[in-house]
Amino acid sequence: MSDTNDDLLVAEDVRKEFGGLIAVNDVSFTVPRGRVISLIGPNGAGKTTFFNMLTGVYKPTAGSIMLLGEDVTGKPPHAITARGIGRTFQNIRLFQNMSAIENVMVGMHTRMKANLFNSIIRTPFVKREEAAARARALDLLQEVGLRRKAHEAAKNLPYGEQRKLEVARALATEPQLLLLDEPTAGMNPQESAEFTQFVGHHLRDERKLTVLMIEHDMRVVMGVSDRVSVLDYGEKIAEGSPREVQKNERVIEAYLGKAAVEDMKRQGLS
Amino acid sequence: MLAWNTLGRPGWQSLRGRWRGLRAEARWGIAIGLEVALAALLFFVDHALGYAVLTLSAFYWIRRLPPMPWKLAAQAALVLVFLVFQPRSLGALLAIAFAVFWIPERLRVWALPVVAVVAAVFYPFYQTEMFTIPVFGVWPDVATGVVMIVFVMMAVGLNIVVGYAGLLDLGYVAFYATGAYTAAFFASQQFAGQRCPTPGVSIENCTVAAVPKHNFDLGAVGLVPGAGGIHVSGWLLLLLAGVITALFGIVIGLPTLRLRGDYLAIVTLGFGEILPQIARNGDNFFGTGVNLTNGPNGITPLDSIGFGNKLSGWTGGVLPSNFLTCCKANHLGHQFQSTDLFFWVAIVLLLITVFCSLRLQYSRLGRAWIAIREDETAAAAMGIPLMRTKTWAYASGAFFGGIAGAYYAIFKSATFPGDFFFNISVFILCMVILGGMGNIWGVIVGAAFLAYLDREGLANTGAWINSNVHVGHWHPNLEVPLYASGIYGLIILVVMLFRPEGLIPSRRRAAELHEGVHDEPLYDSTHAGTEA
Amino acid sequence: MAADASAPTLGTRFKRPTFIGGVGAVFVALLVALLIKEATVSPSQFGQTTLIGLTNGAVYALIALGYTLVYGILELINFAHGDVFMLGGMLAITIGTHVFGLHHGQGPVTVLIVFATLVLTMLACGSINATIEFIAYRPLRGAPRLAPLITAIGVSFIIQDIGLAWKGPNYVTAPDVFPHSQVFSVGGVDYQWNHLIVVIITVPVLLALLWLVQRTRQGKAMRATAQDKDAAAIMGINVNRTISFTFLIAGALAGAAGTLYALWATTVRFDQGFQLGLIAFTAAVLGGIGNLPGAVLGAVTIGLIQSWNEGLPWHMPGSDWTQSIVFSILILILVFRPEGLLGEKTPEGG
Repeated sequence: MSDTNDDLLVAEDVRKEFGGLIAVNDVSFTVPRGRVISLIGPNGAGKTTFFNMLTGVYKPTAGSIMLLGEDVTGKPPHAITARGIGRTFQNIRLFQNMSAIENVMVGMHTRMKANLFNSIIRTPFVKREEAAARARALDLLQEVGLRRKAHEAAKNLPYGEQRKLEVARALATEPQLLLLDEPTAGMNPQESAEFTQFVGHHLRDERKLTVLMIEHDMRVVMGVSDRVSVLDYGEKIAEGSPREVQKNERVIEAYLGKAAVEDMKRQGLS
Repeated sequence: MLAWNTLGRPGWQSLRGRWRGLRAEARWGIAIGLEVALAALLFFVDHALGYAVLTLSAFYWIRRLPPMPWKLAAQAALVLVFLVFQPRSLGALLAIAFAVFWIPERLRVWALPVVAVVAAVFYPFYQTEMFTIPVFGVWPDVATGVVMIVFVMMAVGLNIVVGYAGLLDLGYVAFYATGAYTAAFFASQQFAGQRCPTPGVSIENCTVAAVPKHNFDLGAVGLVPGAGGIHVSGWLLLLLAGVITALFGIVIGLPTLRLRGDYLAIVTLGFGEILPQIARNGDNFFGTGVNLTNGPNGITPLDSIGFGNKLSGWTGGVLPSNFLTCCKANHLGHQFQSTDLFFWVAIVLLLITVFCSLRLQYSRLGRAWIAIREDETAAAAMGIPLMRTKTWAYASGAFFGGIAGAYYAIFKSATFPGDFFFNISVFILCMVILGGMGNIWGVIVGAAFLAYLDREGLANTGAWINSNVHVGHWHPNLEVPLYASGIYGLIILVVMLFRPEGLIPSRRRAAELHEGVHDEPLYDSTHAGTEA
Repeated sequence: MAADASAPTLGTRFKRPTFIGGVGAVFVALLVALLIKEATVSPSQFGQTTLIGLTNGAVYALIALGYTLVYGILELINFAHGDVFMLGGMLAITIGTHVFGLHHGQGPVTVLIVFATLVLTMLACGSINATIEFIAYRPLRGAPRLAPLITAIGVSFIIQDIGLAWKGPNYVTAPDVFPHSQVFSVGGVDYQWNHLIVVIITVPVLLALLWLVQRTRQGKAMRATAQDKDAAAIMGINVNRTISFTFLIAGALAGAAGTLYALWATTVRFDQGFQLGLIAFTAAVLGGIGNLPGAVLGAVTIGLIQSWNEGLPWHMPGSDWTQSIVFSILILILVFRPEGLLGEKTPEGG
């Protein structure tokens, strides 16, 4: 757990209990700037719960979360977004009856300053701000390839495009750290491959964003991650480069069971 | 043939499906047949209306024909014929409708509201000449018009809370009451107090008549000299009432807006019941003798509004100094009255309210409200501060409700605790639902219609039914206005079951209500979409 | 997600004391001190009002249970419930006087007539309630949650005016058949038979309800549906029929409450249902909405509070303020302790 100044996010001994159930058990986690980190683990390992604590949807039972050096533990979601974390959701949570461009413009809420009073009067500042926001929204839609569909209602978009729209909306919050929760779920192999390119090439290399992903699709994980962390039963059981994690016994056991580990050992693959 | 598997919407939708399945010619035939039947029915009630329906129907079908040089001429001819033979006012109405629909779509969006406003402003001039609507009777007089506009204002205010932000507010009457009592406190003799004119003698030992103790005057008009109390200029008062009510809304919103939808509804209902009770008991709080609201007798009279002597002098009397003592002018055959002035000011207030509402709808805040309504969790994740944003909606609704309440109190020159009760909250909610939650034009239409029903429409309809409906010798003797609440309840029920998006829906809302808001979206890997 | 509508869990979880909790505790202590003062100032009146309050509480309990059953299963606040109670009162009066010829001084046959009236009214109100569910709430099962709530308000107004149209705007009197003689006397305070009868009839109804919910298959279906509609459906429970049944039971309880109220208070009016219904709803929330014993506890508490407020002589706000007091309790509970006295905290905070 390096503690360099280049760590965007430092989570220390974070714990979440629901009554008697310990969903996340004293997990410590850092996200270095400019990297793509994947968080993997079997279903129910606590990954989304961890995400929800990072974004303020849940309050950790114990532990601390520091973002860019500032303590954000237990702060409400909108405050954390304002400080630089954007996210997408496992089950798409777009504003279904708003158009694509409206969805993205909602994402810009924190970065805009218009309030009730100057909105009514529509001062020149507000007019400029709205025009700029609209233009930026179109640019973001262009980035994810949805500009043609800017005025289409979100619920009318095909599934893959809805996922892209969610990313565009998250990007509209101007995040330093982008959290993607199972972004390729339901995508076909080609879409997943395109998405992997998008994350690595566009988000990390061009936009210089830091990305933290929960993913199940190992091709995506292996294809773009700089580092992989593995959760199982609420605990971090492995962390390292994709190669290292792939060969880790505990990880294999978590996914495939003890028998698989024995098998692999016997076949001399470990 | 009709598939009523369950009552309500599912059956309705299957009916619609069958309708669309018919051949186009069959649909036209049925439509024309229905229109002719309706016209024939109305003919027996009132000739003019029967002809009106036929004419409108003819308009509509001519429009649908492919463009032909004589189309426009035919329509104009129809209107002219109608104008000549039918009550002039109905003909004029039809002519205006024809003109508006002839305007191309783009401009029509502006034309319609402008025409409506102009028609409303000139209403006092032609109100007496309007044709008699069968069943409903004569068109409402100007005083009723003022009340209608006040209620429309309140509906537009509630629309911000319920329609835009999706917060179910069952206690809007509390804002109405706050506005009204603010006006009463600051424009009446309620706080005059008492003192003895004989110097040095306390009020208990006073042998002569007591005189007022406090007198604070800030630009009020029409004051009785020597009367005590706080008297603030009416215009300032409206603003003050709005602000105070908004503050009150913020105060009760702070602990309650974080509650879930149905709990919030109940809590607002609670406030809506507590406030009138405070007003009723406010003449003697717990036996302490403090008289805040003058109890069940209410506070009356309230100062009128006006432009004051100076301003009136500058404009040579065009702007009256006091609305109640105005008006010797006589233009276009109409003798001006004070109710006309109240009516015009009400229109201005309504226009301001509508203006603010529209500006808010298409602003950053308006988008935030819609986002909260659709999916609170996602909205918060996008950086929208939930509590603050909801409070802005609540405060805005309160602001306009307060102004409406204050203005109505000034118009009536009185405010009584009996004016405020739970049913009013539901009544205004009914307006918003009938009109179309979130669509301001629908709300205005729905509100105007229901306000009219409440004031006169129900009574007139009742009278008409009692005299015109008979089976043999038996006449019903219904006192229709008595059942007003039940009628509004029925309207709510029918609208929620069959057309929850209201009369004039906002397209967005219609989608939400028929397909459900995603409070908990499903993990859905199939999605019917047209990928070009 | 919906609170457990089953076995009472009287064990409250003890959390770290909070500031609000402290304020609440001080408040309650002050109230208790006030009550003790009242009791010492005029013990007979205190006793009298306490007994009346308990009787109030019994009637409220029957209504509150209806609210809580429906909320437990559908998460719907059925605004119309109070008005079904009012209809029940009117029905009881009509059935009693016109069908059975009930009047004062009939002797022992009164018991039979009252019983028959009670049963018939319960059946009628149960059917009415189930019909309301079928017409007004079932089509809106998939709609956003506020839609059925709004519809319930509409239904409430409709039923109020049905009552208005049927019996007119004035009070309707019921024959005063409950004996007013005293059962016992404590320190100069009479406990009259008419109060006791209300309690005597209420208790078996409550026990029957408890038996129904706990020990029958239908009751188990109700509890299962309340916990998770979809899971219950997968387990083979006919969710629609269970919901209808719940409304039937809730309506029957309202009918019982209406009958008892009519015969005890001897006057019914078309607009009483809404007001009394809201008081009963507060009771249900106070006890923990969705929690059956909680509803009874809350009802008794509210009944006592109302009676003490209106009856005690020393520095009480008085009947002018009853509504405000009850609604203030409602607001305070929903804001500070939405799970009520006996309910369980859900992640959504209520």
